[in-house]
Amino acid sequence: MSGVTTAPAGLRPEDRDSPAGQLRGLVRRIDAVAVMPYLYLVGLSIALYLTQSALLTGPSALEVRATAVLPLALIAFGQTLAIYTRGIDLAVGGIVSTTTAIVASHSGAAGFSLAVLVAAVLALAAFGGLVNGLVVSLTRLQPFIVTLATWSIWGGIAFVILPVEGGATPSGLVNGLLGSILGVPKSVIGVVILLAIWFWLRNTRFIVDLKAIGSDEARARLNGVPLVRRKTQVYVLSAVLSALAGIWVAAQTASGAPTAGDQFILNSVAAVVIGGASIYGGTGSAASSIIGSIVLLMIPDLVFALKLTSFWSVFFQGFLLIVTVMISSIVITFRESRAG
Amino acid sequence: MFAAQARSRTTALGALNVLRRNVPILLSYLIVVLLFVAGTAKASGFGSGNHIRILALQASFIGMIGLGQTMCVLTGGIDLSVPWTFTGAAILTSILANGDSSKLPQVLLLVLGLAIAVGLVNGIGVAYVGVPPIIMTLGTNGALQGLLLVYTKGGISSFPPPGLNTWVLENTVGLPNLLWIWIAVMIFGSVVLSFTTLGRRLYGIGTNRGAAYLAGVNVRRTLVLPYVFSAVGGAGAGVLFMGFNGQAFLTMGDPFLFASAAAVAVGGASILGGNGHYIGTVAGALVLTLLNALLVLFSLGTGYLLISYGAVLLMAVFVANLRLSRA
Repeated sequence: MSGVTTAPAGLRPEDRDSPAGQLRGLVRRIDAVAVMPYLYLVGLSIALYLTQSALLTGPSALEVRATAVLPLALIAFGQTLAIYTRGIDLAVGGIVSTTTAIVASHSGAAGFSLAVLVAAVLALAAFGGLVNGLVVSLTRLQPFIVTLATWSIWGGIAFVILPVEGGATPSGLVNGLLGSILGVPKSVIGVVILLAIWFWLRNTRFIVDLKAIGSDEARARLNGVPLVRRKTQVYVLSAVLSALAGIWVAAQTASGAPTAGDQFILNSVAAVVIGGASIYGGTGSAASSIIGSIVLLMIPDLVFALKLTSFWSVFFQGFLLIVTVMISSIVITFRESRAG
Repeated sequence: MFAAQARSRTTALGALNVLRRNVPILLSYLIVVLLFVAGTAKASGFGSGNHIRILALQASFIGMIGLGQTMCVLTGGIDLSVPWTFTGAAILTSILANGDSSKLPQVLLLVLGLAIAVGLVNGIGVAYVGVPPIIMTLGTNGALQGLLLVYTKGGISSFPPPGLNTWVLENTVGLPNLLWIWIAVMIFGSVVLSFTTLGRRLYGIGTNRGAAYLAGVNVRRTLVLPYVFSAVGGAGAGVLFMGFNGQAFLTMGDPFLFASAAAVAVGGASILGGNGHYIGTVAGALVLTLLNALLVLFSLGTGYLLISYGAVLLMAVFVANLRLSRA
């Protein structure tokens, strides 16, 4: 199942000339799994437009959406990288919690001390990611178990720093991150920057190596992919992105919470999977995962627009996750059986 | 005479092999003993019969969930839908019975049926549709959470019928009924894993799915069962937890996602499948419970508990892995 390439099945000669045959060939060449998140996005947008268009086109609709999406998009970006290598990073939740706890318990920081605070938080997260990455790559322990353990450790540290929800985020951070520049909300800029980074990154050696590791680790090693370095980079990046998300959450809520990050663990994995990546590694795209994050967070709006109680959104998010993986499992099985 | 010698040598080697294969399980029991000794050294009442009984009662919930989770992990899967199966069973029981103990039998039968349905959905998704277990059970967990939130309008804490409450802690032949149930689960789980065809098939699938298939195992049908066991175990533990606790609330299942997975891993099972035993998971449940009791003793809060859970989990899998890579 891992490392399925999307090589289109060759056309039969007699099909080539007829328009119907050409159409069939085109349909066959489209990767149904990769298209899915975009279909969801269009479908949900249409549904939202028809039911409560203000949620989609209202004056601050874009800003509200981007503000909610940015932290999940940051974490899902890192999660995409981990899932590329056939791994998973559950520690993201603990790192977000610890970050909000540290930031919210230093409300006096401003100017230089604020810069030091942000740098310290990012360095701490990088250290956490380094530990995850080294343990995962140097031992034969499963990323699931390793990051399950470090999630607990980071969650515990958050509780020690800030036992109850509260504290106050430095006002410099709140003002610096929220609001707009030249009329463009900063959260929107954040999502765009993230997408730009991905479009630069996806053609680099780094991503090619990650795909190779996820598709076939033994073969990647034989081809000279530096396994330890690459995997460590993945978990460090994922942790630093989570810390950025934590800083954003602390600014957005102006406070911290020892469990602030827990919701992001499962949601980030869900965003990646709804984005069309296979949990068995080697596939995916951070851009699609960001679309997956947007789709996941549009569901509560649609539930609101349909005048259902907000609790339905949890149900539909889980339902969408199951439906998506079922479709992609069936598509992959179908494709494999065709390939023979 | 030579034959007898050879036979005794093979038995000795066999025994040694069994011992060597079970080093992670023995190690987890060693951790149990060490934690227990530490507790007794700190407070004399720690080792009293009464306190041991309380510890065992507390451990029983992770223990009961742990059988299904062990079976899932043995096949290379995992069940992350435990928290809301657990919470759902408790809340449904309390709402449907509505304080009337005489309604319990029908209500429990219904809850059992629903739990089997949840397990079948997970199992069929994993075995027949080919959805990765992490994603499948994560999805059903979310769907269950949503349905329950809708059903309870998001903020209920309800109470068990009094009959359940008293029965759980009532003594039969010197032990609370709750403990008898866990003992029954232990015997059942050990027998199934060690002495039945189903047990051998689960190990076979986890070790090498293709080989199991070629050996004539109906892999798909067998792969459904661990998820059904897990859902039934989770639901049963939820109902009993409510009886023990005297209350059902929406976050009651949250700790059990980490706890059940950690108990299985601390107990020496490999998350890749094919390796481990319920006897190890029992030790894992005891380790987590003892850690909790120890930290209370040292008056350290939730934060230190989570840190020590993580550290012990990491250490246990690390040591088990050292042994595996040497073999």
